[in-house]
Amino acid sequence: MAVRVHLDRMLLERRMSLTELSDRVGVTLANLSILKTGKARAIRFSTLDALCRELDCQPGDLLAHEPGPVEGDGEP
Amino acid sequence: MRALGPGSVSSLLKVALDVVYFILWIVALAVGLATVTGLVLAPFLPSISTGDNNVVVVNGREYADLSRLIPAAAAGLLAVLGYLVGLIAIVGRLRKIFETLTAGDPFRPENVVRLRFIGVVLTGLMLLGYVVPPLMAVLFPEATGEVDIDPSVNLTSWFAVLVIFVLAEVFREGARLRHEAELTI
Repeated sequence: MAVRVHLDRMLLERRMSLTELSDRVGVTLANLSILKTGKARAIRFSTLDALCRELDCQPGDLLAHEPGPVEGDGEP
Repeated sequence: MRALGPGSVSSLLKVALDVVYFILWIVALAVGLATVTGLVLAPFLPSISTGDNNVVVVNGREYADLSRLIPAAAAGLLAVLGYLVGLIAIVGRLRKIFETLTAGDPFRPENVVRLRFIGVVLTGLMLLGYVVPPLMAVLFPEATGEVDIDPSVNLTSWFAVLVIFVLAEVFREGARLRHEAELTI
């Protein structure tokens, strides 16, 4: 995926664990792990809103685009 | 009444399919046993046959010479057995599909494979229906007599088979969307 999620860096900077963030934003630990490891296919605005609120950051701090090959899922 | 989940129409149909599956197995075992028994006993039957005029004379009375019919009967039973095995395979897959419907989670990749399998087996069974009667008539004319071969094609059945293949693709799309939803945080 060309979009990188810098959740681990944000957590490290705030000395916050994934479990604590999970409790605060109301997203399961499993789903946050999917997001953190870059396996997520999409993120809801509501999730992004909650993450930015709890991490006190902007969406651009969490997400970054890195040019790379388009994923071969049959869709443009 | 709900269509999916425990206590729904799906769960009732699942129970019905379980019963049908059980009955089909019993019938298939009985037919298999009859086929094997017939084939084992076949070598002993000609000893009581005169081999003339298709009749056996016992105590002055004429009986049909059944030994001449054994190959035809065995072939017929094998065809029936093949048909039953196909039906068991179909009902077995349908049971698994209805299990997922009862669980409320039908859009799984396994169901795509199951539906395609059902479509292929149904196609095979329908082709068997076209091939077996003329073949039996050619191979065993004295056993089958005049076979009324119907050259017409049952369009409804073929339409149903096509619908199954389309449904398989619908399930494939459903499974893909489900996967997408799972990875949407």
